[in-house]
Amino acid sequence: MDNINILLIDDEIEFIETLAERFELRGYTSKIAGDGESGISMIAKESFDIVILDLMMPGLSGLDTLRQIKDIDKTLPVIMLTGHGSTKDGMKGMRMGAFDFLMKPLDINELLEKIKLALSESSKG
Amino acid sequence: MTQVENSDNKAAFMGRVTASVTHEIQNVLAIIKETSGLMEDFFLLQKSGDPQNIEEKLDTCIKTIKKQTYRGVNLTSGLNVFAHTADSSHVSINIFETITKMIFITKRLFIQKGVDVSIVECSKPYSLNTDPVLFQMAVFSCIECLIDNFVTKASITLSIQSIDNRTAIQFLYNDDTLTYEDYSQKIVPGDQWTKITLLCEQIGLTAEVAADSPAILIFFK
Repeated sequence: MDNINILLIDDEIEFIETLAERFELRGYTSKIAGDGESGISMIAKESFDIVILDLMMPGLSGLDTLRQIKDIDKTLPVIMLTGHGSTKDGMKGMRMGAFDFLMKPLDINELLEKIKLALSESSKG
Repeated sequence: MTQVENSDNKAAFMGRVTASVTHEIQNVLAIIKETSGLMEDFFLLQKSGDPQNIEEKLDTCIKTIKKQTYRGVNLTSGLNVFAHTADSSHVSINIFETITKMIFITKRLFIQKGVDVSIVECSKPYSLNTDPVLFQMAVFSCIECLIDNFVTKASITLSIQSIDNRTAIQFLYNDDTLTYEDYSQKIVPGDQWTKITLLCEQIGLTAEVAADSPAILIFFK
């Protein structure tokens, strides 16, 4: 799990800034994007190992962002976050190629477990 | 519209607004949870002898938690007021206050569509005897109709004003490139316009498309 580069995309900037700081304290590198469009342009320019993506954002929605991420790099693992009480959109995201989804508020240990699992699955090809 | 259809429509509207607000509250709680988690991380680091400007960082965390707590309280208070508007189907409402509170809790729904909605301060205390939920549904439907019918991401300004000796709520779509033909042909033929006119009729209001600007007018006097 060394040198893992994570991209966090969510319009709740304070949320992803805090999460990024917690990742940093655990030895991960992470970058943040406040909307889908910025996230897509960062993915097009830079290599990331995994994307953590919020489902509900203004402008490009989480699912539209996921679609564009998969168009750029089909193998890039994406974990979706949702504040909805239902799992409907998360399941839809998985059908569109997301590795998994988690409900907000998060448990950071659960997120880290999912990241590890996603990376180990993607390294198997 | 039958009473059953009315109740179904009201429930759907209340549900939609509630879902949006509770989603935002989940975001607030997520920030508070992560920030308190970060504080915990700093304490553990301090215990292990790595202070890393801990006081300054804890201060930032406390400010974030305070800010998000206020945001959460405003949202739950707004949602509570909104829920209580269903208590009676005929009361006297202050039009400006009712719209202002409704915009506050529905703002996120409109921002998701890329449109900012605001209301101009009104000095006169206009009141209306009405069904507050149907009234809010009419206001919400006017905003949504403008957003759904125009592609450009502009903003919408609401204001209460006198027009030809009548008083109206104006829903102005701030895009002066649109001509009357552009906007009237987009708004009027649609199902949303039919819904708006029906809603307005039910509560004794009339809806019109403005002649000189891309706006919907709801006349209440």
